[in-house]
Amino acid sequence: MPGDPATAVVLPTTDDPSVSAERRIELFRVVLTHRVMEERIMTLYKQGRIAGSVYTGRGQEAVGAGAGLALGADDVCAPLNREMSCHIARGVEPAHIFRNYLGRATGPTRGRDGNMHFGVPERGVFPLVSMLGDLVPVVVGAALAFKRRGEARVALTFFGDGAFNCGDVHEGLNLAGVLNVPVVFVAQSNRVAYSTRTEMAMRNPNLSERIEGGYAIPCARVDGTDAIAVHVAVRNAVERARAGGGPQAIEALTVRLDGHAAHDDGRYMDRDLIAEYGTRRDPVERLAMRLVLDGVPRAEVDAVRAGVIAAVAGALAEAESAPAPDPADLANGVYASPLS
Amino acid sequence: MAAETITYLEAIRLAMRDAMADDDRVFLIGEDVGHFGGPFGVSTGLFDRFGASRVIDTPISEEGFVGAAFGAAWMGERPIVELQFADFVTCPFDAIVTVGAKTHWRNGIALPVVIRLPSGGGVRGGPFHASSPEGWFVGVAGLKVVCPGTVDDAYGLLRAAVEDDDPVLFFEHKGLYRRLRGIAPPPSHRVPIGRAAIARSGTDATVVTYGSGVDLALRVADALADVASIEVIDLRTIWPVDADTVLASVARTSRALVLQEASRSTGAGDHVVSLIAREAFASLDAPIAVVAPPDTPVPYAPELEDAYLPSAASLRSALEALLAW
Ligand SMILES: Cc1ncc(C[n+]2csc(CCOP(=O)(O)OP(=O)(O)O)c2C)c(N)n1
Repeated sequence: MPGDPATAVVLPTTDDPSVSAERRIELFRVVLTHRVMEERIMTLYKQGRIAGSVYTGRGQEAVGAGAGLALGADDVCAPLNREMSCHIARGVEPAHIFRNYLGRATGPTRGRDGNMHFGVPERGVFPLVSMLGDLVPVVVGAALAFKRRGEARVALTFFGDGAFNCGDVHEGLNLAGVLNVPVVFVAQSNRVAYSTRTEMAMRNPNLSERIEGGYAIPCARVDGTDAIAVHVAVRNAVERARAGGGPQAIEALTVRLDGHAAHDDGRYMDRDLIAEYGTRRDPVERLAMRLVLDGVPRAEVDAVRAGVIAAVAGALAEAESAPAPDPADLANGVYASPLS
Repeated sequence: MAAETITYLEAIRLAMRDAMADDDRVFLIGEDVGHFGGPFGVSTGLFDRFGASRVIDTPISEEGFVGAAFGAAWMGERPIVELQFADFVTCPFDAIVTVGAKTHWRNGIALPVVIRLPSGGGVRGGPFHASSPEGWFVGVAGLKVVCPGTVDDAYGLLRAAVEDDDPVLFFEHKGLYRRLRGIAPPPSHRVPIGRAAIARSGTDATVVTYGSGVDLALRVADALADVASIEVIDLRTIWPVDADTVLASVARTSRALVLQEASRSTGAGDHVVSLIAREAFASLDAPIAVVAPPDTPVPYAPELEDAYLPSAASLRSALEALLAW
């Protein structure tokens, strides 16, 4: 039974005393919300109620959650496809996320883009751009603005081990170092990029070594299925960056448990890794186990689960009742300063 | 016995297979093209048949492997590069328009590279997975840009592109991949680059189009057959454009409509409009009409994308207005 120490196969997360009991529950709520929302989204996709593509972050929920909760209210970030939990941690409403998947008029992109391809400006979240690597220089620029204005704010983004092969990522890393700006990079080393295993695409797949050695940016390597470990590492990095310590990085080691996207069964994945990461290292159950070991009453953990499931169902119902976009509105907003 | 039919996608795969079988210098390079067969399965089976030295998986490095294809071409190879989506051509843009386009003019070094770009909408791909960016390359001296709209042309243009000594951008429409079927062309089939086709003969108006517009124009022309005789010109190569075929058609019909899936002010459309306005003004009985999406990125939501893309209804009403002049 998941969460029961007596029959445990699940590895609990680390027990870092600097992470409060409330923060642990919050992390659990966020990773679980991410998980449950994507389960609903996959069902909607299979039912044909979500068009286009769906990319899930199953197995990687702890990274976005740990990082998102490490940011302050005035910090900014640019999460990607696998980091729905970062949006949730930033306070983006699940209904708002669902409205993007459903292409609704009141969603973050008003139906103009789908799935995780959205930002939430009022939460300091820059919209995802598909072209991998593009957002790395963008957050460096945001951090440059903070530095120029003397604001104690931090900018953060993620990139996959696959995206680490894109030139823009390297230009961004180098620029961050040279400009010495308050930016935090979170590398998602999930062992694969679409169908290509990471070791097939780079000679040295140790990203933290390359980020430290190549760009002189400190880079902690953490178990990305351990939300508490991720949270502590990113929190420390954010603090250093905020204090003027320049760019920081974290490499989170995970495994992508699903295929690249809903249409891909991931048949090329390493079955043993999937088995290990889908059970013993399941980020949701690792946190649940932590809570149980912390002495949180079983009923309380179950109540969080029930609460999340109910909240997600409510959010979906709310999103489904949102209006469809009106084609007559399509050309509005092409320009911020329309020529009159 | 009925002849074997294949899809547009299979025609592209067959053309790659035949080109690779015929010429050792031809190889395929791109992301996930090997054992996985590419995101749309276009290269399925080629890895098994030709091995890892002819079907090369790359890291996610478009600027890198497009540039590398030009280097290999310099050394006498004939690479076919696959981009996962045409939208991602923004990343190797520089390699294409500087290295690819200018080298032969400057120094006489031919760079025979084919870049395959899955383009087009109707698949709910949104702003980054449904674009028709071919128009960005119209007017770039040194490049050739082809956009097959039939199964036959998918095969014949790709074979011709591989044999061509210049960089050729091959825009294959994702929406046509599995929708179009046709008789499998013989291995000798080639479609000359730079030649348009009269896809349908007519006398009352000319529709000039390419790619996904061809099937749409033919369907609408057939639907209007009782009212008017519509000629459909399939450009096939949008740059450099086959001016003679376009102008001869307009001279016969005196009415022209340009149809494209690329947003209104990008793409081949305005290039053709200016050609007709400059060279065939005297034979026109009506202003040149254009049917194209508005000047915005491609929207995601079905309600928006359906309204955005040219449709049988929008083409039909534009044609009726043109004929009423
Ligand atoms: C420049 C560019 N090329 C190709 C793609 C298509 N693509 C989308 S995600 C992906 C794999 C990304 O791998 P990684 O960065 O490791 O992230 P993961 O999907 O594993 O989370 C690819 C090839 C893209 N989005 N952008």
